[in-house]
Amino acid sequence: MAFDLEQVRSRMPGNRIEWHPEIDTTMREAARLAGEGAPGGTIVGAELQRTGQGRQGRNWHSPEAEGLYFTQILRIDLPPRRLPVVTLALGVAVADVLKMLTGLSPDLRWPNDVMINERKVCGILTQLHDGAILAGVGLNVNQTEFPAPLREIATSLRIETGDTFRREALLAALATSIDSNARILATGGAVPVLTLFSAASSYVEGKRVEVDMPGGLVRGITAGLTADGFLRLQSDDGSETVVTAGGVRPIYD
Amino acid sequence: MTLDEIRDLIKTVCDTGIAELEVQRGENRVWIKRSGGSSGQEVTVTQSPAPTAAPFAQISVPPAAPSASDIMGASPDEADLTDPTLKSVPAPIVGTYYEAASPGADRFVREGDHIKPGKVLCIIESMKLMNEIEAEITGTIVKCLVENGQPVEYGETLFLVKPN
Repeated sequence: MAFDLEQVRSRMPGNRIEWHPEIDTTMREAARLAGEGAPGGTIVGAELQRTGQGRQGRNWHSPEAEGLYFTQILRIDLPPRRLPVVTLALGVAVADVLKMLTGLSPDLRWPNDVMINERKVCGILTQLHDGAILAGVGLNVNQTEFPAPLREIATSLRIETGDTFRREALLAALATSIDSNARILATGGAVPVLTLFSAASSYVEGKRVEVDMPGGLVRGITAGLTADGFLRLQSDDGSETVVTAGGVRPIYD
Repeated sequence: MTLDEIRDLIKTVCDTGIAELEVQRGENRVWIKRSGGSSGQEVTVTQSPAPTAAPFAQISVPPAAPSASDIMGASPDEADLTDPTLKSVPAPIVGTYYEAASPGADRFVREGDHIKPGKVLCIIESMKLMNEIEAEITGTIVKCLVENGQPVEYGETLFLVKPN
């Protein structure tokens, strides 16, 4: 279904919204706009991303009109040390909306992959550029299937519920939720965000996981978050590791 | 033959434009050969006991203005790193250091690169937040101190920059 931009604009009069039929990646265009001084709340979206961007140059599969692909520019004043917590706040923001609009029970895989039944439904990439935070969201909405390499690890709202969803309504709700969660961080600091995240994620405590660390693969049990939002891991060798970045995967023994 | 003596000999070769010089004293023999045209030159120093010709040192000299200390003394890196005018670029957050935007992409900067404020030097990933670390001064990157993919602590020095 064609994306009704006017409907979105009328729902969100305070946001500048640019929607492209096709783009390389919304992150690049948002970075350009942020460099030109675009205000917080600016949204760059696309029906199709040719080279949708994931972590460390990975690709985000972005088939035309089936998913929601956008980057939202956030301008919140935070000391650099507190910035990474934005990642957690964004995960909470998306999980809240999906719970409310779909009735599903999303989980958050640290730091912010939104999972439904152990498969990824939404990826969020955050980039600090020219003093602005670029929150890139790739949400699988109406896909009925995924190419072979993704089949086991990805899902969509439609696959999980059998229903199709209007992307306009999702975008409006997501943008509002992202904005308000970023505001919680800006005004209340990290603590409320860590509390919200811990309540929404099964990964924070007592989960058996393996993690790609610079020194190699580490296995252990998760043991809460640090004050900065990093994941503590009680490693199998008895030591404690703090995970600051990198892929966390569940282990089922 | 002492290092100082060899250094003086190299200087003599470089200053005078002599192509090749061989000096023998007692059991020691030093052979210095200069090669290369206007684009660069190479000085080969060979010292060996007189009877055999086995070289024990072969040292290349950078094209621009070779000096004796470059050839025989401390390496340029070590000499430069003690320079009190160097400025360090610290990590503003804890995370993982990346020298390029994605694996296989060109590095943001290399040693010797000239930088200006706003130039992206590296990315530090912290909880999937990609922080572009930008230069705040004009200068030349003298040393990149962190290897790609390594964790960095808050305040850890990432680069040394010679301001200009």
